[in-house]
Amino acid sequence: MNKILEVRDLHVTFHTYAGQVKAVRGVSFDLYEGEILAIVGESGSGKSVTAQTIMKLNPMPPTQIERGKILLGDKDIVKASEKEMMAIRGKDISMIFQDPMTSLNPTMTIGRQLTEAIKHHKKLSKDEAQKEAIRLLKLVRIPNPESRIFQYPHEFSGGMRQRVMIAMALSCQPKLLIADEPTTALDVTIQAQIIDILKEIREKTGTSIIIITHDLGVVANMADRVAVMYGGKIVETGSVDDIFYRPAHPYTKALLESLPKTDTDKNTRLVSIEGTPPDLLNPPVGCPFAGRCKYTMKICKTQMPPHFEPSKDHKSACWLLHEDCPYSDFKNPDGGGENDE
Amino acid sequence: MMNKDKIKLEPVVNDNDKEILVEIKDVSKHFKVAGGVLKAVNNINLNIKKGETLGLVGESGCGKSTLSKVIMGIYPPTSGKIIYHGKKEMVVSKNNLFEYAKMAQIIFQDPYSSLDPRMTVGSIIEEGMIIHKMYDKKKRKERVFELLELVGLNAEHANRYPHEFSGGQRQRIGIARALAIEPEFIICDEPISALDVSIQAQIINLLYDLQKKLNLTYLFIAHDLNIVKYISDRIAVMYLGHIVELSTSDELYKNPLHPYTKALLSAVPVPDPKREAQKKRQMLEGDVTSPIDPKPGCPFAARCPYATDICTKDFPKPEIKAGHMVSCHHVEKINNLN
Repeated sequence: MNKILEVRDLHVTFHTYAGQVKAVRGVSFDLYEGEILAIVGESGSGKSVTAQTIMKLNPMPPTQIERGKILLGDKDIVKASEKEMMAIRGKDISMIFQDPMTSLNPTMTIGRQLTEAIKHHKKLSKDEAQKEAIRLLKLVRIPNPESRIFQYPHEFSGGMRQRVMIAMALSCQPKLLIADEPTTALDVTIQAQIIDILKEIREKTGTSIIIITHDLGVVANMADRVAVMYGGKIVETGSVDDIFYRPAHPYTKALLESLPKTDTDKNTRLVSIEGTPPDLLNPPVGCPFAGRCKYTMKICKTQMPPHFEPSKDHKSACWLLHEDCPYSDFKNPDGGGENDE
Repeated sequence: MMNKDKIKLEPVVNDNDKEILVEIKDVSKHFKVAGGVLKAVNNINLNIKKGETLGLVGESGCGKSTLSKVIMGIYPPTSGKIIYHGKKEMVVSKNNLFEYAKMAQIIFQDPYSSLDPRMTVGSIIEEGMIIHKMYDKKKRKERVFELLELVGLNAEHANRYPHEFSGGQRQRIGIARALAIEPEFIICDEPISALDVSIQAQIINLLYDLQKKLNLTYLFIAHDLNIVKYISDRIAVMYLGHIVELSTSDELYKNPLHPYTKALLSAVPVPDPKREAQKKRQMLEGDVTSPIDPKPGCPFAARCPYATDICTKDFPKPEIKAGHMVSCHHVEKINNLN
């Protein structure tokens, strides 16, 4: 499979009155063609900032990319000028957002908004643009697209608006679609429709998708690979089965245990993670999860663990996987504590 | 006290012997809006029993929050009444709201906007006790410290302001405030949906412990169905202002009878990739229809895969089937019941 995107050691900070917020602190991951990668994490873990940085959507300043590389093919997005970004956004990478109520322009018809990107990137006549808009609405299963293109956003429901957003994002056949919490604002039955459409689009067009979410149910349903973020760092990456059935980081493990399963009895207590996430104004020197982890050792507080590889393509940044560590819960008998850095 | 023909609306479940705490009798709440009448809640009959957790689920706009506000007495019902059988018997009305508020309290969804930023945590918790003239000043201070410890905070937090706390901690303050006046009945209106996953379990465990310790009754409103199933004894499913199905939580999850409940449960993604891959989704087409001047008949008819002529004409009467209260014309046919 071809690599579409390569993110290496990305550091992003925000300047605020209170000081410098280190939102993303050394994130690295790869994305392959036709793959759905889920980035999961709690609010403030840096997942949205990572995604927005890929499209350079954050205003700079106050945002600053301290260092790192974002390679799209052989182009480094970190170094790209705003003019170059204009050519990339919508064409190579496009994005859908959480809130479908506010991300459409209320004064423009759906048809015009839909074709704005194609008109910008390709030359299309009015007739062709209209045909294209109808085709796109059909793709996301909106009934009566012929009359719908002349309507305004307020005439669409929340789920329909999110579908319009998806259609718009797909208009230039991007290589990469970033979906930032695309279903969080929607009801479950509508969420199921949107997830279905995203999966269908991947099948039909081969677009790679990065989905950012905190809902592990959505991840289990659609992702191929998962990156778990905590305190501005990726703490674990692996295939969806690795993450759900063989989690190798205490945070991932605790997160999965804290959710009630459909067969959890009322008398079983939920496992809760005590404490709160770290303050990224003064991020901890060592592992970001050390303050809440039940296995914390001395080294966890002083040194950030490297990514160990308990099995192939499964990485976890936790000292428990080090070969000298006395605990063995997290070590996979087959893989066993290799240091890849 | 209870009207005999209303009793049969309750499902046949083994905890029928429990006393009823709140009786919701044929309650409707309609709002006049531009373009018609918005029928948010329609002819709801529901009994909440002492010591239980009744879960109320449904999608946005189905009327669950309106119903909770009617039960709290915040909105007067358009028709029907709320009868409370707690420390004092009463039909909730404008005249006895003050007394009622001492027994029934509410915990809100958003822990950021539901606490006054200019008041210290101690005074937020104490305020209810002052209003209800409970205890003297010294005893009230002691109670504030007790309550803070009860919800897992420290006594020294009393002098701080809400902005100094995280979302989960603020929700704990909201819970302490609700408990301050020693209520018997608490409405939890989406108490965890604004919180991060790792914090949700903390609050759920806290609510569960408090219920055991203080013998509280909860009406638990949420849209996260996995959580609702975990915490509730019985669950009512709402759609467009109607309760379409009611049963014990295990039963409802194992054998949903109403087509909407079936679709809703099948749409919930579970955090288990293998189960997700095998699961057959029953996809619902379209969106919820408008509650403004709704058409007669079953509220779900427009999206229901089993709908026939009768569904668009008559409203299906709630019936007891296999331990569920369910309102659907075709419930036997769909589920092969006799």
